Amino acid sequence: MLEPLFGSINRERVLLFLYSRDEGYAREIARFYKTDLSQIQKQLERLEIGNIIYSKIIGKTRVYSLNPRYPFLIELQSLLEKVLTFYPLDELEKLTHSRKRPRRKGKPL
Amino acid sequence: MSLGELAAYVCTHLHENDIHCVLTGGACVSIYTENRYESFDLDFIENMASKRKDIMNALSQIGFYEENRYFKHKDSKYFIEFPKGPLAVGQEPVREPNVIKFNTGQLILLSPTDSVKDRLAAYYHWDDKQCLDQAIMLAENHTIDIDEIQRWSEQEGKLSEFNFIKEKLLHKK
Repeated sequence: MLEPLFGSINRERVLLFLYSRDEGYAREIARFYKTDLSQIQKQLERLEIGNIIYSKIIGKTRVYSLNPRYPFLIELQSLLEKVLTFYPLDELEKLTHSRKRPRRKGKPL
Repeated sequence: MSLGELAAYVCTHLHENDIHCVLTGGACVSIYTENRYESFDLDFIENMASKRKDIMNALSQIGFYEENRYFKHKDSKYFIEFPKGPLAVGQEPVREPNVIKFNTGQLILLSPTDSVKDRLAAYYHWDDKQCLDQAIMLAENHTIDIDEIQRWSEQEGKLSEFNFIKEKLLHKK
């Protein structure tokens, strides 16, 4: 939806994913959108250089989030929120309803 | 050349090449604390973005070369980076940077108060305790506008965090 503005569908996807889930890593985002990992990595790198997102290492994984220090964060979030209202409901649910509660190691379900 | 002298030299040279930028980040703390906190990277943020090629050309005139988005010099342990703007502390633009004259040129940098805000932004939003230490160190060396920092902290939604550290910024144990 914002591809003409952002210049890339994958950049839009990355931003929407991080906005909806608070954080994410490259493989997770690529898997969610069934797209090429390297394309997602490229957009993550560009957005990080632009200070729009930031990353931290957790274990062996680089996890990204929207940068709370980005001066246009509130405006960007408003824009992304608006985009989500145009998302098909089933897609929206998949994006926003991921399991966040803990899962004990070894639990069968 | 000290970090401050180098920063002033680079800043003046860029200015002469119509590239107007302000020093931010840990290097400001280094300068204001007379190196009690030592930084090796010079983060310059441009007022209006220039083409990367123009920055590269200007810096190559004074011996810098680009490596992985950083500019290095064979005779210096310091390196230069140009983080993407705009020049801001948290959600607010920086309107009144400070100017310090060195024998190598004129350096435009964040004021002590804005520099404390810049460090506190990292502490507030990224939970970076080292940046809190830098803010306290800077506040020990310079007069800062604590009311302005309180107003800004509230604007950032971090008033309770500010109240927790206010005494430290005022050097009260």
